[in-house]
Amino acid sequence: MDRDLVLKEIRQKLKDDILDVFDKSAKRVYIGIKPESIRKAAQCLFKDMGARFNIASGVDVRDRMEILYHFTFEDINLLVSLRVTLPKDKLEIESLAPLFEGANWIEREMNELLGITFKGHPDMRRLLLPEEWPQGVYPLRCDYKEWDKDAVRDRGV
Amino acid sequence: MSVKLKALLKSPWVFHLSTGSCNNCDIEVLDCLTPRFDIERFGMLLAGSIKHADVLLVTGSCNRKSVARLKRLYEQVPKPCLVVAIGECSLSRGMFIHSYNCPVPLDKIIPVDVYIPGCPPKPEAIIAGVVKLIERVQEKAAAKK
Repeated sequence: MDRDLVLKEIRQKLKDDILDVFDKSAKRVYIGIKPESIRKAAQCLFKDMGARFNIASGVDVRDRMEILYHFTFEDINLLVSLRVTLPKDKLEIESLAPLFEGANWIEREMNELLGITFKGHPDMRRLLLPEEWPQGVYPLRCDYKEWDKDAVRDRGV
Repeated sequence: MSVKLKALLKSPWVFHLSTGSCNNCDIEVLDCLTPRFDIERFGMLLAGSIKHADVLLVTGSCNRKSVARLKRLYEQVPKPCLVVAIGECSLSRGMFIHSYNCPVPLDKIIPVDVYIPGCPPKPEAIIAGVVKLIERVQEKAAAKK
């Protein structure tokens, strides 16, 4: 198995779901995927092709929200990132946690920090934020405003 | 000087608490205990439990979740006790001052006796800070008498 074969196989298997392919470097490929077919794409990479799920990362790009699912093919030293773009008014995507357990906590984290809803997640509780944190306030969004009236934001010198 | 205070200053046992630091200050605190810097020269010993401690060494920027733990630990220290803030994060939260997760600095939560700045402070600075604190408390107690 080498790099070109893997990319060819991905293109072949997901040809209706791929929006764009950005070949960044020898070790790194970004593949844009339609949001509705993320589970199919993850299934293909993880189950059929034997990639390892590293982590997912959510990014707020002001006019839209992006989720990058990073998969590695360790034996050929290749990192494939599936990029999903979600519109700000409809932050919903299928959960990958039923597929592999590794997606469980990162989806909980993205849910509380960015406010993305993951449909079909088995256990959507808070992971990092404290109990007193108000519902519906997402700290890693671009439009986050300080809600805590008691916070001290000067160094006192 | 009261017996309690005398016992405290003769051999201050320290308890080390990290309230969400990057671990660099914790490494420097650990360095203090190693033979090279040998903080035991001053009778200081790292206590495993807060209930055995006289001095509370605090590192880190006090995030929302650790504030509750910090308060609970401070309630459990046998009084009189001394609190030492180590590193820029516990002094003023350093680069995390505008972080959503670090609302208040350490000295707004519990009374702090000595501040040791640095990112991270050198082990020498930590030792100097604690020794200065002990001398200061001794002087104050002597002046009272």
